Amino acid sequence: MFTSFDISTSALVANRTRLDAIAANIANADVPVDPKSRNPPFSEQVVYFAPGDPVSGDPNGVHVAAIQPRNDFRRAFEPWNPLADKDGYVRYPNIDPVVQQANAMLATRSYDANLAAIEAAKSMISSSLSIIS
Amino acid sequence: MNDPLGIVSRINTQASGFSRPGQSPAGQDFKQELLDEMRKVNQMQQDATQATNDLLTGQRDDIEGVMIATQKADSAFRMLLALRNKVVDAYDEVRNIRV
Repeated sequence: MFTSFDISTSALVANRTRLDAIAANIANADVPVDPKSRNPPFSEQVVYFAPGDPVSGDPNGVHVAAIQPRNDFRRAFEPWNPLADKDGYVRYPNIDPVVQQANAMLATRSYDANLAAIEAAKSMISSSLSIIS
Repeated sequence: MNDPLGIVSRINTQASGFSRPGQSPAGQDFKQELLDEMRKVNQMQQDATQATNDLLTGQRDDIEGVMIATQKADSAFRMLLALRNKVVDAYDEVRNIRV
């Protein structure tokens, strides 16, 4: 009876995960790549969805299959920057904040849509109670 | 399928063929069914409480799952309440029969 709840919930979780990645992209858009750092440089994180909800085992749900870096960098000429290479260029992750904002809106709208689906299922269950009362 | 009141599965099993009057239908008696459903709804409410506690104490972070668990428990309880009201109505009906 509550299958649609579980399906919509899996989509809610997936979209929140997508928004996490987008927030990381926006936050790290202006972080230069440190060539001497032992950590891998940040590049745009892309979230991939896949069908199937591993929590409830429902094949109609959705889950995040992978979050992978795009490994795309832009070069900026900043010879004063201590992180610059010998030619005076600093590498930044190639993240467009405008695209990220659009993706954030997409994730939010998708979240809202799934929330509306939950509301619809809820109101169907509630109104079915009026049959016997 | 999650079916806390067992209504859907009961409809599916009884859809084929009518049971004749006088013949006792297979399965448990009504009181036992009702008690089982009450136990299931109680379990769902305890699950919802546990989920809320886990969220507030930071042991889980999916607020959606917690909210849905709460919503499921609420829906199941209201369904049980409607059933109980119907049963009490039927009881009142029988009690008002003049002998």
